[in-house]
Amino acid sequence: MRPFPKLRPTVWDTLVVLCVAVLAVGLAFFQWRGGQSQGLTAVVSIDGTEAERFAPGELLEQPRTYTNNGYTLEVACGVWGEVSPWNHVSSGGEQGVCVVVSDCPTQDCVHTGTITRSGQSIVCLPARIIIRLEGGVTDPDAVDAVLG
Amino acid sequence: MRHLAACILLTLLLVGCAAPADPDKAQESIQVIAMDTAMLITTYGERSSAAAYAAEDVIRDLEKQLSRTKEDSVVSQLNAAGRRMLVEGDLIPLLSSSGWFYELTSGAFDITVAPVVSAWGFTTDSFQVPSQEELHELLKLVDGSEVSVTPAYDDGEGTKATVRLGPGQSIDLGAIAKGYAANKVLEVFREYGLPRAKAELGGNVLVLGDRPDETPWRVGIQDPKRPDDPNGFIGVLELTDSFAVTSGGYQRYFEENGKRYHHIIDPSTGYPADSGLTSVTVVADCEMENGTMCDALSTALFIMGEEKALDFWRSGGVPDSNFELVLVTEDGRVLITEGLADRFVRDESSGYSYETIS
Repeated sequence: MRPFPKLRPTVWDTLVVLCVAVLAVGLAFFQWRGGQSQGLTAVVSIDGTEAERFAPGELLEQPRTYTNNGYTLEVACGVWGEVSPWNHVSSGGEQGVCVVVSDCPTQDCVHTGTITRSGQSIVCLPARIIIRLEGGVTDPDAVDAVLG
Repeated sequence: MRHLAACILLTLLLVGCAAPADPDKAQESIQVIAMDTAMLITTYGERSSAAAYAAEDVIRDLEKQLSRTKEDSVVSQLNAAGRRMLVEGDLIPLLSSSGWFYELTSGAFDITVAPVVSAWGFTTDSFQVPSQEELHELLKLVDGSEVSVTPAYDDGEGTKATVRLGPGQSIDLGAIAKGYAANKVLEVFREYGLPRAKAELGGNVLVLGDRPDETPWRVGIQDPKRPDDPNGFIGVLELTDSFAVTSGGYQRYFEENGKRYHHIIDPSTGYPADSGLTSVTVVADCEMENGTMCDALSTALFIMGEEKALDFWRSGGVPDSNFELVLVTEDGRVLITEGLADRFVRDESSGYSYETIS
């Protein structure tokens, strides 16, 4: 019987091992990142259909306007607890999204103020527009639903 | 070439061995505007998307039947028909439940208060304070005992029954329809075998199972003094498999000559209820029909006031059903019934005093 040749790792073998390791680490990192929140996202629904999603920070550059059912809402970046920031964000305070101007009759959307946390919504029933925050860091103490 | 093949194969193997996404944590969230309110349905599990959209279909179907503001709804047709009409579908069990809660609450819950609610403009958002004379005339039409439903029968095309209203009467199911919708949404969640889900239907919340981190769902009760503060809560309920409904005078109102008028009309006076309560929360387990019960009771107990509401709770006001309460009073107290005390997290910084009721 012919003896097996002596197997010694070559440079190519080392290269393969390195390639596999790098790819595995890269894929694991990609998968892990995919399960984590990538920061808050504002989701705008009009008449029950998702119309747009964007990072709240984009509102600093330009407020957004949505019109539906005969009413128009101006959406801007705001600071929680501050009134009508109108695209101006002071230092300090939790930043989020607010409706600064609306011509709807109830003004509930304006009165809601600034939403800053995942799961919070601004609802304008007359315009049938909902702005909701999603993603971000999951806070186990945050509420999942609101009564009232 | 062999090395390259080995590299690809090993990589595929590693990817295959990577932890798969937990099917129980697959999530779908959809927002729905229906029944004059904004709704959010969040479902989990492998069939989460199908379940969420099936729940939306159920809600849309109910709205078509039960809306008082849509001219072609069954309720609008019944109100237009006046005294008598053959009806089918969900209106039959809802009217039966409405009659049941009318009796249990001695008339505090009354769907025939509809014309009075309209006179205040809450149906059309054209708010006004009606004159005393107008209310006096309209109150003659408010009497839930005059609504009757014949026993339902199946003619092969569906369940049907004949509904009779008193002369000139009309009905408004706004104080019970969302709770009924919550029951139906629960049916959908169970039909699709969801491990967990939540539905926020206006002031009605349904939570199925627990949160993805296996802790109870945290449901905040809005502070009536801070209705516009998204973080303003009197406390947080920690719930699993529960219905919870809040009614409060701060939710919908208008002001005239410096006075605030809210939307919860007392059927005995025709005026917004002035019972000393600013909000009532009713909580019950996910037993079928409990969504309807919570919705009807939150309105009725708000009208009845603290003393009668607590008497109702102590006497086990609804046969064969258990429910718990959180009452908020105008004088700054939060009253939590004992069955809920260990599931209620107080916000001691809210300025309220908290009492456990037994």
